[in-house]
Order: sequence, then C-alpha cells, then structure tokens
Amino acid sequence: MWGEQLRMAWQSLRANTFRSLLTMLGIIIGSSTLVSVLSLGNALQGQVFERFIDLGTRRVAILPGDPDANGARVSSGYGLLSIKDFNALAKMVTTHPEIFRTIVPEVALKVRARSGTVEVDSLVVGTGADYQKVQSVPLESGRFFTIEEEQSAERVAVLGSLVTEDLFGKGAENRAKAVGQTIIINGQSIKILGVIKGAGGPFSSDQRILVPAGTARLRIAGNQDLPGRGLKMSSILLGLRTEGVVTKAESLITTTLRDARNVPVGAIDDFKINSPTQALGILNGINSAITGFIAVVAGISLVVGGIGIMNIMLVAVTERTREIGVRKALGATDRDVLGQFVIEAATISLIGSLIGIGFAVALVLAIASAAGLGMILSIPAVIISLVFALGIGIGFGYYPAKRAALLLPIEALRYE
Amino acid sequence: MSTDVVAIHNVSKIFDGGDNRVVALDNVSVTIAKGEMVAIMGPSGSGKSTLMTIIGLLDVPTSGTYLLDGIETSVLDRTAQAGVRNQKLGFIFQNFNLLPRLSALQNVALPMVYARVSVSEREARAKAALEAVGLGNRLNNRPNELSGGQKQRVAIARALVNNPAILLADEPTGALDSRTGHEIMALFRQLNREQGITVVVVTHDAEVGKQMDRIVSLRDGQLNMEALHEYYGINTDDLGRVVTEVPHVG
Repeated sequence: MWGEQLRMAWQSLRANTFRSLLTMLGIIIGSSTLVSVLSLGNALQGQVFERFIDLGTRRVAILPGDPDANGARVSSGYGLLSIKDFNALAKMVTTHPEIFRTIVPEVALKVRARSGTVEVDSLVVGTGADYQKVQSVPLESGRFFTIEEEQSAERVAVLGSLVTEDLFGKGAENRAKAVGQTIIINGQSIKILGVIKGAGGPFSSDQRILVPAGTARLRIAGNQDLPGRGLKMSSILLGLRTEGVVTKAESLITTTLRDARNVPVGAIDDFKINSPTQALGILNGINSAITGFIAVVAGISLVVGGIGIMNIMLVAVTERTREIGVRKALGATDRDVLGQFVIEAATISLIGSLIGIGFAVALVLAIASAAGLGMILSIPAVIISLVFALGIGIGFGYYPAKRAALLLPIEALRYE
Repeated sequence: MSTDVVAIHNVSKIFDGGDNRVVALDNVSVTIAKGEMVAIMGPSGSGKSTLMTIIGLLDVPTSGTYLLDGIETSVLDRTAQAGVRNQKLGFIFQNFNLLPRLSALQNVALPMVYARVSVSEREARAKAALEAVGLGNRLNNRPNELSGGQKQRVAIARALVNNPAILLADEPTGALDSRTGHEIMALFRQLNREQGITVVVVTHDAEVGKQMDRIVSLRDGQLNMEALHEYYGINTDDLGRVVTEVPHVG
C-alpha cells in the first residue's frame, strides 16, 4: 500500500511539474539555508578551535587580581603579581611534571624604541625562552632567544612585525633586513634576533618587543620591583601537558598562589586564572548564537514552505474531488485517502528538501574548496533538514488530507 | 437466507435542506435476485439515482433496511462500507470516471490496490479482465488515448475485477453512440449469461430498458408502472420477456 501511495504521489507530482516545483520553493530555500549555514557554522567553529590550539589550549594565564572586585581586601599593591609568585609556581611546575610543561613570565614595560632617527612607542615583554611553547609567536625570519641568553640577560630581542615595520619600513624585505640590526631602548643597545610573523588582531604580538625577562628587569626597567616582593609581572603563563588537566592545574595553582601570597582563609583569590577554554567557550557561544539565529530563520522558511504545501494540497483536494469520489466508490477507505494525500504532501516536502540539500552541498563544497577547508558538509544538518522537511510535509499535509478523507463518496462523485 | 442480492425494504431517503425538504425515495421496497438483469427507470427527480446510490452504498437511507448479499448495511461504519463497495459492488458510470493519469491496466488494478492484493496478482488479474472485455492490446494506453467505447470497456473490466455480487451501471450508454451502446449492452448480457453476474442499470434509454429482464419504474420517489408507458412509451404488454416490478403495497 505504501509503495502504491508513493507511486500515486509521484505520478501526481509529475502531472504538475512546474506547480510542484513552485510549491517546493519554500522548502528548497529553507533546506539549503539550513544545511549550508549549519555546515559553514560548524566549519567556522572548527577553525576557531584550531586557532586556539595554535595559541595554546594547553595554557593557563595568571593575571593580577582586581582591587575593585567585590570582596577584595584593602592593601597597597593588592592583586599585583611578582617574581615571588613566579618562583612559587616554578617550584610547583617542577614537582608536577605530569601536569605542567613549562612556566614563563610576562614583564610588560611601556617604552620608546629607536633605530637611527626613527622612534616608536612600543611594549617590551620580558619573558622566557619557552615563550614559544605557550604563545603563538611563529618567526618570519631569524630566531628566538635561547635559555642561555635568557639566563645571562643578554641584550637581545625578537620584534613583532608591526614594530619592525615602524622602525625599518614596510614590506617583507625591510622586515627581513631588520634581523641583526640594533635598536636603542632606554639607552640600551638591543640586538634583533628575529621577527615574528604578523598575525593581526589585538591579542597578537605584532606591536611587541620580546626580550628575556632578566634583560627587561636589569637593562630596561630600572626599578620595577614591588616593595618586599621583587620584580612586578603583568602575567605568568603556564604550559600544560594536555587539555584534560586544566581543572587540576587550576586548583594546584590556586592552592600554591594563595599560600605564596598569604591570602587569608575565606578571602577571595587576589589573582585571576585565565584558561583559554573559557575564551574558546565564549567565541563558540557567539558562533553558535549566530548559527542558531540563521538556522531559526531557515526553519521559519521551512514552515512558510509548509504553509505553501498546505495551500496547494487544499487546491489539489478540491481539484481532485471526483477522483476521490471514484477511489471511494472503488473501495478506498478514509484512511487510504488520508494516507494518499499525506504521503503526497510529504513527498513534495522531501523532494524539495533533497533539492535544497543539493544546492547547499554544491555551495558548501565550492566555499570549502575556495577557502581550502576540506570536507565541511555537516551530515547532522542534512539529516535534521530531511527530518524537519518530512515533519513539515506530514504536519501541513494532514489537514487537507483529512478534508479529502472525510468527503462523502456520493458528494465527491457528483462534484463538478 | 434468500438468493436475493439486493433486498430493500421500506426505504425512504429524505434530503432535509431546511426549507426545502425533498423526499427522494418514499417507502420503496425492491428485491433483485442473483443473476438478474434489472433496469431502474424513471424521469428526472423520480428517485432512480438515489436508489442507485443506496444500492451502491454511496449513500445511506433515512429509514428502512437494505440487505446486500445478505449483509445488513445499516450497521456498517465508513470503513466497512468501503470494504463492501470494494468486494461486492462494481460501478460503471456514464462518464466512465477513469483516472486520467493511470493507464488502462492501472485503472483496472485500482480496486485491487484497496483490496491489498499483491502487485503481481493485481497485474495478472487486471490483464485478464481487460482481455475479457476485448482490450488486451490497450493495456498501457491512458484514457485519453481510448475511444468512448473502449473507455467504458476499461470501466467494466475495473468493475468486474474484484468479482463483485452486482454490476451497478449508471447510464452506461449515455455518453456513447448507439452502435457502441449496443456493444456495451451485449457485453453486459454476455457477462450475465457466462458468469451469472447480476446487472443493475439505471437508464433513461427505453432501448436499454427493454433489453433487461425486468424494469423497476419510479416516479416521485415511489414505484410506479404507469410512468414507464408515459415517459418511455414502453407498454408492459409488449414486453413478453420483461417481468415488471409490482408496486409494493402496504
């Protein structure tokens, strides 16, 4: 019976090809939008995730506590990080090698850098040779400083691409030439070891000058020390073994730091732990919200398509009243007639959805190959789209089909 | 249980359209025996079409009883009525009522679709039925590729394919020229003789009526033999062969 009704539905669609296509239009648009948006949204999410793995999802940043935070104690220098905290954490890192890979400081100093007669404002970041393990700072030319250079506080630096261009002129050639040159910061001659590849965005190192932490402290800063606590640090970065130990690492860090900083029991932490998973969550949240919004719009289009189907099915029932009468005279039950029209509506909807998915696949593959994203078609989106379209077809086909089923045989036969 | 295929007793059908209440059938009793060929005749508004729709289970009487092949029809629900139409009745319409998008074979197979007959058996039986009405070479033609007489033969094959108790024909020759009409009537007679099938024909055509075993004559919703002469010029005395229905008394 199902096969028969599918065949009847197909025959009836074929008999009115153009009208059937017009009826499907809403479903076609809805399905193609749904599948392409969900696929591209997923791909974008994957991209964001990969960027973050670049930047290091296996990384935790310790930032100063906010003195204005609710529950913060009143004391001078509240929340600031120092070398004391760094040393306590460094000890923790060596006792937990299964969790932590490395630890590096970030000592940020606002400076004026000079090359010949050109002067620019920049930010010196004093850090460790392991910085590359916790931050995305791929080098375009030259090299990073070594552990030895770090320990002996050599006058060496790695420059962000924009700083390099400000000092030595625009273009890859000028940037490459910068390596080996010397710049003056706070009267100190600093040799350029390498230039970082430009990444763009506010969180990149494009505007920064990276130097060994000791160099920043001894050669450039003068006195950045906090009273009784030593060198002030803008942040401390810890590299983790895997993403899976983030929570464990956070609790170890909290214990260690509260102890090192003598935070009284019951007081809030006077520091902040920033794990990239949080930021990742926020970004993904935004992406999901946008994707979700467009998906809802696509869903509305599908519902509108469903109303189109209902409309055309009501017309079909009226047009085919005699046919319904004949079928009933020949022994079709109400259920047979109901099934026939519901299946016809569902078939329109499903075929529309398949056509829409076809468009979406073409679009998504074209974008994927243009952007070099690989296979990004979302199979769940295809399935959701098909199931939704089927549901719409059945849902909106039911009322017209019920009207057809309830026709009295004699009245249907006499309908002119 | 008698051998009556149709046993209608005191049936009335009233269409109650508010102000205009129409009594289409007024206390009519008719029986049709198995293997009979019966014509139902009468002028417009006589109730002959209404009687046919009641015999065909396309409509239900307002009062009275109707036994179809021994089945008490008043207790049937819509689904059961559909089943009885499918199994016991074969309909033939004046305008053929073939489904235009289906081939002759598919049209004939349709009643078997609703009888849940398997595809292969459906095809075989539909093919045999079309061959029996002389259309073995027109299986895959659509109705618009067939002549009027051929269409009516397809309709007859479709009506017969589930081996019904009654062949119920509403003006079967109305849309055909006289020669084709004769052929169709001859086919009815042949089916009646060879297969003993009961044929009930509603007709305006005196020539058609005269070819039947018996004429049920109606006027104003009641059985009325005078109308036969009045409207059709059929003199019951001239019809040696025709056994006319005696108006029900009481």
